[in-house]
Amino acid sequence: MKHIKFLLIVFAGVQLISCDADEFLNPLPDSAIVANSFFASDEDVLAGIIGIYDAVQGVNENTESSAIRFNRGIQLEYLLTEHRSDNTRSKTLEGSRADFHRFIVEPENIQSEDYYQSMYEIIFRANNVLAYVSNASAENVDAYTAEAKFLRALAYFNLVRLYGDVPLVTSVVVADDKELLFTRVAKNLVYDQIVSDLQAGVAHLDNSNKARASQAAAQGLLAKVYLSLETPNYDAARDLCQAIIDSGDFSLEDNFSDVFYNELNDEIIFAIQYVSGNPDESQGFSSEFTSYKRQGRQDGLNIVNTNLVEDFNSHGGNRGAASFAAFGSDAALAIPENAEVIKFLPEGSDISDRDNPTYGSSPANAGNDWIILRYSDILLMYTEASMNGGDTANGRAIDYYMEVRERAGFDPVSDRPAVLTQSDLLIERRVEFAFENHRFFDLLRFGVADQVLGAHAAEMGYTSYNARRLLLPIPAREINLSEGLLTQNPQ
Amino acid sequence: MQNQFNIFNKTARMVLGLALMAVTVSCEEAFEYELPEAGSQVDNVPPSAAFTYRPSAENFKTIIFSNLSTESTNYSWDFGGDTSTDKDPTYTFAAGAGTYPVTLTASDANNASNSITVDVNVVDRFVPLPVTILNGDFDDGQNDWKFSTFTGGTTSPYNSSSDGSFTNYDGSDNGSKTKGAKWTKATSAGPYLSSNTRYAYQAIIVSPSNADRTVNYILEYEYAIKTPAEQAGVAPGGNRIYSEILGGHFSDGAVAVAETPVSQFIADQANGKTSHTLVEQQFTTNESGQMAILFYAVTDVDVYIDNVKVYAAD
Repeated sequence: MKHIKFLLIVFAGVQLISCDADEFLNPLPDSAIVANSFFASDEDVLAGIIGIYDAVQGVNENTESSAIRFNRGIQLEYLLTEHRSDNTRSKTLEGSRADFHRFIVEPENIQSEDYYQSMYEIIFRANNVLAYVSNASAENVDAYTAEAKFLRALAYFNLVRLYGDVPLVTSVVVADDKELLFTRVAKNLVYDQIVSDLQAGVAHLDNSNKARASQAAAQGLLAKVYLSLETPNYDAARDLCQAIIDSGDFSLEDNFSDVFYNELNDEIIFAIQYVSGNPDESQGFSSEFTSYKRQGRQDGLNIVNTNLVEDFNSHGGNRGAASFAAFGSDAALAIPENAEVIKFLPEGSDISDRDNPTYGSSPANAGNDWIILRYSDILLMYTEASMNGGDTANGRAIDYYMEVRERAGFDPVSDRPAVLTQSDLLIERRVEFAFENHRFFDLLRFGVADQVLGAHAAEMGYTSYNARRLLLPIPAREINLSEGLLTQNPQ
Repeated sequence: MQNQFNIFNKTARMVLGLALMAVTVSCEEAFEYELPEAGSQVDNVPPSAAFTYRPSAENFKTIIFSNLSTESTNYSWDFGGDTSTDKDPTYTFAAGAGTYPVTLTASDANNASNSITVDVNVVDRFVPLPVTILNGDFDDGQNDWKFSTFTGGTTSPYNSSSDGSFTNYDGSDNGSKTKGAKWTKATSAGPYLSSNTRYAYQAIIVSPSNADRTVNYILEYEYAIKTPAEQAGVAPGGNRIYSEILGGHFSDGAVAVAETPVSQFIADQANGKTSHTLVEQQFTTNESGQMAILFYAVTDVDVYIDNVKVYAAD
């Protein structure tokens, strides 16, 4: 009988310990803040700011292969954006990565949850820096503040476009302040915060960096924000683009391919840097974009849809050959079924033999930068802003549009339209920025997302599509933690 | 041995068995016989109705509705008479373009409900086909204006001329003459009809008219006729140029010129060589969308045309 008592005590003890485990039963919500850092000097604040970029950069799946959320930063963004547009799809239909292109993302989707959490990680780190930025020397406070705010704005801009109303946390708060952490704030108020954060960047940053926030990056992102508002501010967006153009700090690369393989070139305004072969500083998406001779963990992601190939053939000029490639028997087809993205081939790749491409020594730890803003986007945003939501015959607006098209090999005279329409511009943006995560947001901004994606889904047989799918569901984990505070998007 | 813990001891096995049993009995089963109300929460969030819509790709009158309501399970739609209880209905507004108030009532199992009425705009976003006229400025000689055959006549469409309009095809001022097309007495039709009579012909494809809509296009060109001071002579009925739209495509010119045109305009202002007059001739398209342009002249003096365009009327 002694044993029974002993065992019962052990058993009960195990129960008590596991029930009491704070971490298991009360995990921290993604939007929670734990302020335990302290910044005492310029170096400390700068280290904190670099830490924010680290959150944007994310962790390579080939370095930390855990299937649960792992702060992948922007490395999974193509799933939430390109896959949910008419541009690309997953080759396989297995696994949660294959849910995006078919518009069946559920609240439990791990990649969506990871992205949501990653954006709040950026916001958390930015808020943390902002709380202690006053400890930096006086001449640096404004610039450091602006830099942190720029990154916070970038994260909120992504969140508000993908998830709609989201909790707006702009200070360091404790984890049990559930009201603040889980109350969704109307989109227009989130946008007010984004605009104000970016205005700090416009006022206090300069153009000395491309891999960190700059004045031009803040101006360009703010222009895109103005164009994305429910009531777009076209005049302000146009002026911001004009300011970047007039700065003379940027120009188009002559060769389209150089934009992607000549890092931080003249066309780049803001890019997230990665280092090839370094497990801690590399990215995994380059390898996921391979399929015929696959280098990634999946069967092939960002596989190019045929209707994008058709648009490349008719509107892409020389950009098609620099944007996608088909391999094996697909290579002979005029419109390949399973073309692959080649804007981000890992270092040392050689795809000249379409039956036997090679991808260098460390394709899983690729160093290709992720471009967030480049000069041709600014030119086309100027045009977009000049159009005021309609068509235009404005000479300068068409000049900038043609500047981008001429680089792609179009004729400045015979290919120049007298009147530029919204659909002309949308298709130009589609082929210029294919696989750079613009298309989904472009469709939203031009007000044709439901129309275009509805038709695309019908053509592809994605029967789950409806207009509700344009917003991703708030991750279930967050809703569970909120104890009823956080509401779900219409399902 | 008395103090030694033996896992294979009978009593230990019993306890472990009990513990294992407790673990494997799931929560669902444990709470199965509780009253349904126990532990349930009051639904404090009422339904909120909302929806969006888009036209189907095939028919602008057919609208696909997407329900954006929250906290609701039952839906009742009113399309102004017809109703539906589908979550995402599709409805065809047979009357066509217009504004129709559509009401959605979203309710939950507690019979709480919320309604929204939205004016649905059914818009005909028809965009007429653009038409490109080949060699519309006549810079390329007689190309693109010839019949492929002409029984009993010539396929030569006109005389190439350097006495065209001062205006370029894009509307800008050239500052001097451009090339044009010319007819003379020797190439005229009407009383001067001969195997040497010249007809300029070009097939075009336009958006067809049908029961749903009437589509109008405009044939635009410039013409000039020499004044009596520049060249004497008046053909019976006056010196003039005919511009016609035919309701089909023709390979033999003899068949085409025998056809009754869908639209005809007679240009007869004699303002002098290179003093061009603009013509905008509107026509309604046929049901096939296959149409053709035909130019010819009846004249004693030299006449000219230039800058032929076809575009959709507003």
